[in-house]
Amino acid sequence: MKREGHDDIEQTVRGVLRDALGLPEAQVAAFTADTPLFGALPELDSMAVAGVLTELEDRLGITIDDDDVDGDMLETFGALTRFAAGKVRA
Amino acid sequence: MLRLGPMHGAVVVVALPLFEEANRTRAAAIDVLRRLAERGIGGALPDLPGTGESLIETRDATLADWRDAFADAAASLGTPAFAMSWRGGALVDNDARLAGRWHLAPLSGTDQRRELDRLRKLGGDADYAGNLLSPALLDQLAAAEPLTGARVKVARLEGDPRPADVLLSGRSLWRASEPAVDPALQEVIATDLANWIAICAG
Repeated sequence: MKREGHDDIEQTVRGVLRDALGLPEAQVAAFTADTPLFGALPELDSMAVAGVLTELEDRLGITIDDDDVDGDMLETFGALTRFAAGKVRA
Repeated sequence: MLRLGPMHGAVVVVALPLFEEANRTRAAAIDVLRRLAERGIGGALPDLPGTGESLIETRDATLADWRDAFADAAASLGTPAFAMSWRGGALVDNDARLAGRWHLAPLSGTDQRRELDRLRKLGGDADYAGNLLSPALLDQLAAAEPLTGARVKVARLEGDPRPADVLLSGRSLWRASEPAVDPALQEVIATDLANWIAICAG
């Protein structure tokens, strides 16, 4: 699989949030690194978190250990993208 | 069992994704059947034991029961019958006598089980996102694989890196937290499936 750049990973994370949370395209397109996620998006409940993690695994070809999942990595769009990028490079 | 379209000739039997994903995708799958009916192809959506209108409790359902029920439903419809199985539904059509299978984003039983375990863990270890599931079902899922071969066509959504015969552009409706539809995706599914049926029949 090709090495993905940060921008590619960020776009993938956007697409996952759009699909897994059913968010409008315009809303996810406006996400910045500081956009709060967990606790701020009513759509992001624990069931939705499971869908987000599984879609990230599928689309990025990574494996996420559920023990690595905490509030910090889901706090902002930037934090989630950094977490995903770290797994892609690992 | 929901029936659409002509009662004679080719018929598509739907195996929805499993568990909560079935609720999210039912409307989209029925819309695909409507689009197939416009093309002269019949459609059927059976309720598997423990799902939909079934009187069986979900906690009593097993994968073997689902496969038997799906095979019985397909056999009751005449021929030629084709499966349209989405996600974990591709683990259910194995035992049916079919002229062809069209799978959308199929996943292995291992992956399905892993998703269930993740849901359970994130939900506080009480149940599987509101479902009580039997140990038999969980064990059968872990060992299950979708059928593969010449009469199986695998479609996936763009962005899914796993092997596929065709990539379709659209949203992963089974992930959305509310039931959702994607008319453009449903149209390309109906078109691809109708072409696949014509190839299998030819």
